[in-house]
Amino acid sequence: MNLLPLRKHLMRILIALSLLAGFVAGSARAQNDVLKSQADRVAVIEKAKPSVVAIFAKGGRGGGTGVLISDDGYALTNFHVVQPTGPTMECGLPNGVLYDAVLVGLDKVGDVALIKLLPKKEGDQFPTATMGDSDTVHEGDWSIAMGNPFLLATDFTPTVTFGLVSGVHRYQYPAGVLLEYTDCIQIDTSINPGNSGGPLFNMKGELIGINGRGSFDKRSRINSGVGYAISINQIKNFMGHLKAGIDTDHASLGALVTTQTEGTGLGKMMVTSILEDSDVARRGLDFDDELVSFGGRMVTSVNHYKNVLGLYPRGWRVPLEYRNEKGRKEILARLMGVQRKVVEEEKTKVQDGDPKKLVAIKNLVPQGPAAKLYEAKSGFANYYFNKIEKARLLASMKKNGDFAPVGGAWTMQGNVRLKKLNTDSKTTLTIDEKKSDDGKNSEPYIKLSIEAFDYDLYPLKAGQDAGALKKPEFSGGLLPAMYVWHRLMTQGEAGFSEFLHGGVEPFYPPVPQGEKDKSFAERRVDCEVINSRHGPFLTKWFFGQKDGKLLGFELRTQDNEDPCEVYFGDYRPVEGRMMPHRMQATYADGHYGTFQFANFTLAATTK
Amino acid sequence: MRLRLTAVLLLAVGSGMLAASSARAQQPVGQVAADVNKKLVKLFGAGGFKGLPSYGTGILVSPKGYVLTVNNHILSSTNLRVHLYDGRVYAAKLVSREPEFDLAIVKIENDVDFLPHYDVDKAAASPIGEAGDMVFAHSNAFQIATRDEPMSIQRGVIAAYTDLRGRRGVFDAPFNGEVYFIDTVANNPGAAGGALTNRKGDLLGIIGRELKNTLTDTWINYAVPIQSKVDLVRDQKNEKVNIPLFIRESIEGKYKEGDKKKKEDKGGYHGIVLVANAVSATPPYVEEVMPESPAAKAGLKPDDLIVYVDGNLVPSIRMFRELMKTYGPEDPAIRMEVQRGNKLESMTLKLTQQPKSK
Repeated sequence: MNLLPLRKHLMRILIALSLLAGFVAGSARAQNDVLKSQADRVAVIEKAKPSVVAIFAKGGRGGGTGVLISDDGYALTNFHVVQPTGPTMECGLPNGVLYDAVLVGLDKVGDVALIKLLPKKEGDQFPTATMGDSDTVHEGDWSIAMGNPFLLATDFTPTVTFGLVSGVHRYQYPAGVLLEYTDCIQIDTSINPGNSGGPLFNMKGELIGINGRGSFDKRSRINSGVGYAISINQIKNFMGHLKAGIDTDHASLGALVTTQTEGTGLGKMMVTSILEDSDVARRGLDFDDELVSFGGRMVTSVNHYKNVLGLYPRGWRVPLEYRNEKGRKEILARLMGVQRKVVEEEKTKVQDGDPKKLVAIKNLVPQGPAAKLYEAKSGFANYYFNKIEKARLLASMKKNGDFAPVGGAWTMQGNVRLKKLNTDSKTTLTIDEKKSDDGKNSEPYIKLSIEAFDYDLYPLKAGQDAGALKKPEFSGGLLPAMYVWHRLMTQGEAGFSEFLHGGVEPFYPPVPQGEKDKSFAERRVDCEVINSRHGPFLTKWFFGQKDGKLLGFELRTQDNEDPCEVYFGDYRPVEGRMMPHRMQATYADGHYGTFQFANFTLAATTK
Repeated sequence: MRLRLTAVLLLAVGSGMLAASSARAQQPVGQVAADVNKKLVKLFGAGGFKGLPSYGTGILVSPKGYVLTVNNHILSSTNLRVHLYDGRVYAAKLVSREPEFDLAIVKIENDVDFLPHYDVDKAAASPIGEAGDMVFAHSNAFQIATRDEPMSIQRGVIAAYTDLRGRRGVFDAPFNGEVYFIDTVANNPGAAGGALTNRKGDLLGIIGRELKNTLTDTWINYAVPIQSKVDLVRDQKNEKVNIPLFIRESIEGKYKEGDKKKKEDKGGYHGIVLVANAVSATPPYVEEVMPESPAAKAGLKPDDLIVYVDGNLVPSIRMFRELMKTYGPEDPAIRMEVQRGNKLESMTLKLTQQPKSK
């Protein structure tokens, strides 16, 4: 007997066995993979489902879907869902309970609404969806939509659909000026009438968008395999405004930008016209300049450009880079609005043939227990929530010190380094009142001394020319700015004829002198904003979101002009009150100066 | 020594398995979409009225800018433009068309080279997809993308691989062969000429036009398989032409499209006189039945309302006439359902030659 063949045999058997084992293991693994991904999917749905809201108009005038984003009951939906419901609505959760809800904020252009569900008992907590990051969503990702298509669910249990992300950063034209879908997520995940306002989740169960429309063309208004969700990152930009009850507006640049095709076949984004009184024109952007990037993104087509523009509320400052024969330049563009007053009355047709008219929400009467959380006011979706947010912000601000007892004259001494001067100069700033010439009334008086130079102003004196309110020269109005600042600190809301919460805006404090320069993106701090009016002075105040500290403000006397910008830093206590020891003033494209204060005298309020 | 050899062999086999299983690990769908997108173009041309889009999709089939697309109205433009995946925009011209495939070849007018493209010879040599296979539809439906924006990707399943041909007048199919029917709404405006691929991005077919069954008011989603062949008469010769041949001859500048086939009326005689076709959808009520005619033999009577012909609902006189053109004396008897009073009556109708005029 020869051993060799047996060995050979044995080897063959071994190889065959190992192959077979590999194959069996492989197919078992494949099957396990399928079961696992199925189980994962089910788990994700179970996790996300409790946050889905079925929205109904009182009296059955329609409805849609929403999604809870905070445990105190704030939920997102579409503007076109709450538009037929009016300021109050009823909301069913998958636990079968029906809640009253009230409209909080609106973004009509972006087709977003924020509503608030009223807990059955004070302090009850709602289930919430986990916020995702829609910039991490890619074409080809799987997605889950939940909602109430055809208002099917009488027990408020959402319908779940599953599909592919067909595209990201999509642009869909508005109907008139409203319902413009910019930078949206395109899905083949089935969405139908009633899904509107509902959540789109990624496969981690995070909220990445709000489902709102589809492309239909000739077909009836049911799933055409092409649906769109508003990206959650766009909504995050508007969230501060929405929470403050504002009827928000989107942005325009004040310039027309179109594509011009080069000989190479590639396109360039060129400025083909520009509004003279736009901020970008004052910053130097001109006809025939080439737009390079906007909001930190390269723009190579009109759709790209409109996508970026659609991300921001009116009034935001956004970095913009352009190029011309003089080279490349990056500026901070202050965005203008898009909606005119007439929009309220405008009867637009929703694109793709929806015959619904966009009627003003305020024509519908609020009903039920939520009605006491509603207050109508022009420019607001629900002014009640603006008051709530304002009160919260002022309370937070007050933690940095109560200045009401020190409403008298303020004197601040220190050094200032003016633009282009390499040396420090001694300075004294006095915010005071002075008796008028007839000696009867006293009137605010501001005086700034820099070495031997004195600048002074009676900010409220009638009949002054506009130039006086811009003193000192190149500051854009630092003297009146100091007056309104003192007024805000010592009198608060009572010192102003108009005092409104303005949501959240990015703020770009300049780098202190001597430190390494930073990009706009690095400098950006998102702040809560108050817009105020007092006499001729329009002021936008920026507060730190965490501590309510005043980080700076802008002062102007009319729209469409460069404001005097004041930035505060180096906060330290002065007699128990936090005072800024550093102050930087800028105007237009220039730095006026940096003040470093050492001595403060804050006089008591006089009766 | 031998044992060691065995061990080495086993190790080799084992690592082979490992390599095989990692190769089996799928590319993410997004990667597949990005790869396919590079081989597709956005087309812009004629249209923009009467529900006809002025945009479409095409598939690059050569490195020098030859594009396979659907033979539709957008090509009849002197200002045909192509947007590549990287944002380049070029003028393009129609090279050739083959109505029997409902396909056309377009060429980028500039001198371009090294463009990513599909090897259609290879694709056409692959086996046909089967019902149940997962597929992806890639197209610029609804003109969502321009320039360097990526096109849309949709997921679906092949629902059937079968004849597209409907009866003429019921829905006028632009292609007469077997097609992939898919369960996703892929055939949207502008999607025609897009790519149907498998999970790996291999080309399975060309997304067809928007197609509606006017009887049921439903839309059909189909793609023409890349393996399709058509019977043509070219230079008086019968010929089977496949898509690779169509492309190759088009690139060589010598493709001749097939002779137009006569689409004749089979013209069977039934002897039914309907009421006057007064409105656009007059119901097919019988006015008179010619004596001795096939209809008389079938038992049809005046005032009967014809409801179904061979299982097809005929809501109007126009529809009835269109449908009857497709039957001739050589066809087997046609089943008809008519409403007589409150009852539905069934009968069979055997057409004859048109009677000689006296």
